[in-house]
Amino acid sequence: MVESAKPIPSTWCPGCGDFGALAALKKAMAELKIPPHEAVLVGGIGCSGGIHNFLEINGLHALHGRLLAQAVGVKLANPKLNVVAIGGDGDGYAIGMGHFMHAFKKNASILYVVMMNETYGLTKGQAAPTAPLGYEGNIERPFDAILAALSQPQPNFVARTFSGDPKTLTKVLVEALEFNRANRGFAFVEDLSPCVTYNDTFKEWREKVLDVSTLPGYDASDRAVMFRLCLETMDKGRIPIGVMHRPREVSTEAESLELKLLPDRIGPAVTPIDLEGNLPTYQKLLAAAG
Amino acid sequence: MTTPATQVPSTVREVGPSDTPPVKELADLSVLIGGQGGDGTLTVSDLLARYFRKRGLYVYTSRNVLSRIRGGHADSSVRASRDAISAIKPTVDILVAFDKEALEFGRPELEADGLVLYDSSVFQTDLPATFGFPFATLAGSQLGQPIYKNVAAYGVLSVMLGFDPALTRSVIEERFKRRGGEALEKNLKALEIGRKAALEHAEPMHRFTVVDGTAHDLRLMTGNQAVALGFVVGGGRFFAGYPITPATEIMEYLQRYLPSVHGVVRQAEDELAAINMVIGAAYAGARSMTSTSGPGLSLMTEGIGHAGAAEVPIVVADCQRVGPSTGEPTRHEQSDVAHLAHIGHGDFPRFLIAPGTVDDCFYLTVDALNLAEKWRLPVILVLDQALCQNSSTVPGFDLSQVHLDRGKRLEAEAVATRPSYKYYELTPDGASPYALPGTPGVTSQVTGNEHDEYGHVSVNPVNRVKMMRKRMEKLIHAQSDLPLSRTFGDPAAKIGFIGFGSTTGPIREAQDRLQTRGVSTRFFQARTLFPVPARELSAFLEPLDHAYVVEHNYAGQFAGLIREAMPSYHARLRSILKYDGLPFRAAEIVKAVEGGTDGRVG
Ligand SMILES: Cc1ncc(C[n+]2csc(CCOP(=O)(O)OP(=O)(O)O)c2C)c(N)n1
Ligand code: SF4
Ligand SMILES: [Mg+2]
Repeated sequence: MVESAKPIPSTWCPGCGDFGALAALKKAMAELKIPPHEAVLVGGIGCSGGIHNFLEINGLHALHGRLLAQAVGVKLANPKLNVVAIGGDGDGYAIGMGHFMHAFKKNASILYVVMMNETYGLTKGQAAPTAPLGYEGNIERPFDAILAALSQPQPNFVARTFSGDPKTLTKVLVEALEFNRANRGFAFVEDLSPCVTYNDTFKEWREKVLDVSTLPGYDASDRAVMFRLCLETMDKGRIPIGVMHRPREVSTEAESLELKLLPDRIGPAVTPIDLEGNLPTYQKLLAAAG
Repeated sequence: MTTPATQVPSTVREVGPSDTPPVKELADLSVLIGGQGGDGTLTVSDLLARYFRKRGLYVYTSRNVLSRIRGGHADSSVRASRDAISAIKPTVDILVAFDKEALEFGRPELEADGLVLYDSSVFQTDLPATFGFPFATLAGSQLGQPIYKNVAAYGVLSVMLGFDPALTRSVIEERFKRRGGEALEKNLKALEIGRKAALEHAEPMHRFTVVDGTAHDLRLMTGNQAVALGFVVGGGRFFAGYPITPATEIMEYLQRYLPSVHGVVRQAEDELAAINMVIGAAYAGARSMTSTSGPGLSLMTEGIGHAGAAEVPIVVADCQRVGPSTGEPTRHEQSDVAHLAHIGHGDFPRFLIAPGTVDDCFYLTVDALNLAEKWRLPVILVLDQALCQNSSTVPGFDLSQVHLDRGKRLEAEAVATRPSYKYYELTPDGASPYALPGTPGVTSQVTGNEHDEYGHVSVNPVNRVKMMRKRMEKLIHAQSDLPLSRTFGDPAAKIGFIGFGSTTGPIREAQDRLQTRGVSTRFFQARTLFPVPARELSAFLEPLDHAYVVEHNYAGQFAGLIREAMPSYHARLRSILKYDGLPFRAAEIVKAVEGGTDGRVG
């Protein structure tokens, strides 16, 4: 056995919601038998973004808000890797907002998990873009990522989960990873993951979450229906959770970015670049140039 | 306005009735074509360049456009010579003016016996040595679209320069074959319209002959195209960028080239995404690059620092333009140099590599990829607008000169025999062995946070010092790997020039001119700007009285870097600076030297 980077003990506060996601991700990877070396976890900057240190996995710790761009780069360079990006709601919806919305459009088969805690945990409790009115003097209404995701006419997988329900969380992560592994495109999971130190919402959220799949008319393939169900649920003061979008059927055409670019799923990172092997192509290229 | 060309009276040039005007033989010719943006001046220079190249001549073309598609003065120039050249000619032999502004703009540069062709359907002039042809009206009335006036002008030029008619035509076929159909047909007609007008002109129009050259198998291309080709041949397989003048063509060429070698190109949502996509792809093991210019570079600063700290090998091509801010998007400057040498917060190593000619762009892009991968850090290709977008003839690239160096890359079998694998393993030269993510049996942690050898976050002061030195000392250990400078001129000279990038051409031409006036000079073309090549520079400076650092910025940025690295040479350095947005002309450098100035030529 070659000795290499091993998980280190977590640095999170005891009781932090992020432990739920960590456990669920471990379980989901085990269930799908993904070996650690075949997975890359791209972490954001924040408490949540440190998660790659606490798992046996390849970790790429990105810049604040840039994890999705890096994750897409990894996936396009080697589509055989399972790429999971995990970061906070500040990371994703504030500084990373541009990349967040473009991730739906790019539709690379990566899993993006946002640990939603309404706050900036790592910088000690300032309002995140998701913070409710009044939190730390917040006077702006909160951003809702699920509604934003549903507004985009893309064949992505979209779900909201709750760290307080690790069983469902595991199930959703498994489905999301399978979606990715079938090269069907981008999977976005917003996990409600309370920050027990600066915004302990465990009790409140446990009471408020409502699984939309229990509602009459639920149809995760119909964005209009799901948008309405979410708004109605929110109007009642509840928090909609569950699978919010999954395309009705498996497309026969390449939908994901990596399949469109690399139909054989062999990425540039593992393509031989030696001169000898490429000589005929290079000579043709140079002959036609200039 | 609608007078056919045949009846357009010639201008007031005095030609006796029986006189056939002399045909002037040139070995170095320049044509300047000016008009409004959208007049198609670039097409004319491109057609001429193609023709001259087929006659075995070296060619250099430059363009001067505003950042909009139509409107505003625009011009382009082409120079053809029997000698290798990499600069515009200081004077103009033929000026083609599609409007009056172009005439006024170009006239000061005109040789004493230079000639002017102008569009007499747009304006009239009675200046001497001018020939009016109603290009727009001719094209409009005979082809239905005045837009073909540019190729009609090419037709007149072909007569004026005594071109071979068949070759003149074939150049048009070559240029428009991709568009084919009507475009090709109408352009061929426009050529004939121009030729006919010239042949039927009251005066014989054949005035110049350019002596055929002996240079064959030359290619005509821009620095941007050479960078793109060097990237592919150097094993570059992933590119992400965001459109910005004058860098965009690198992305556009790669969109054409990379798919054929299983590579990937993406146009990202902004430069932040572009550089981070490149970081992700480079981390995964693909040789990766982005290209940009000032405003985009500012956004990429964050990512460049990250690559330096996390030790991810990336290449950034910076096509410098006039800054700061949006500056002058289409104009030339070399004013990112100081920023690049210090780019990012905190200390981390980076190499600045500066090609000086189009073929240098090809080979040094290969070097940049090797250096990044081997030394695990960001490498910046320092380019400038003139180098990126002007085209010149280059000999075919020699693939036997291309070598890939993947440094301490570990294949799966090699990893399996090791006791341990650590992404940040401490080594004597600072570069750690690396395996790609996906290698069986091992995982790694890669981060921009300070970390231990495994990549786990650490704030241990002892570790911090070790890791800092591991990274920073690459600047020392890599020295002998960095591209060497080139020196030109008289080794016994007392006056020196130091320059980089596209000033290489004008400086070498200034050297020739100074030599003819009895002033010997020596020129140091820096090809590594950072770390400052102090050893090479001190050997160069030692025998000199003084050296002029020639660069396109206000502050003397490269001179500043040299002074910072080599304070004892402070007094020996002078500056010749130009920051008006236009490339140096040899004459300006000569004048500055003769004036003994240390300062700005405007
Ligand atoms: C460019 C930049 N700006 C600011 C910071 C400081 N910073 C670190 S984490 C963070 C926010 C963390 O909040 P969130 O993303 O929600 O993650 P959490 O800690 O809540 O999991 C900020 C602002 C930074 N690292 N980089
Ligand atoms: S500060 Fe909040 S988010 Fe961060 S580890 Fe502690 S509980 Fe979790
Ligand atoms: Mg947060």
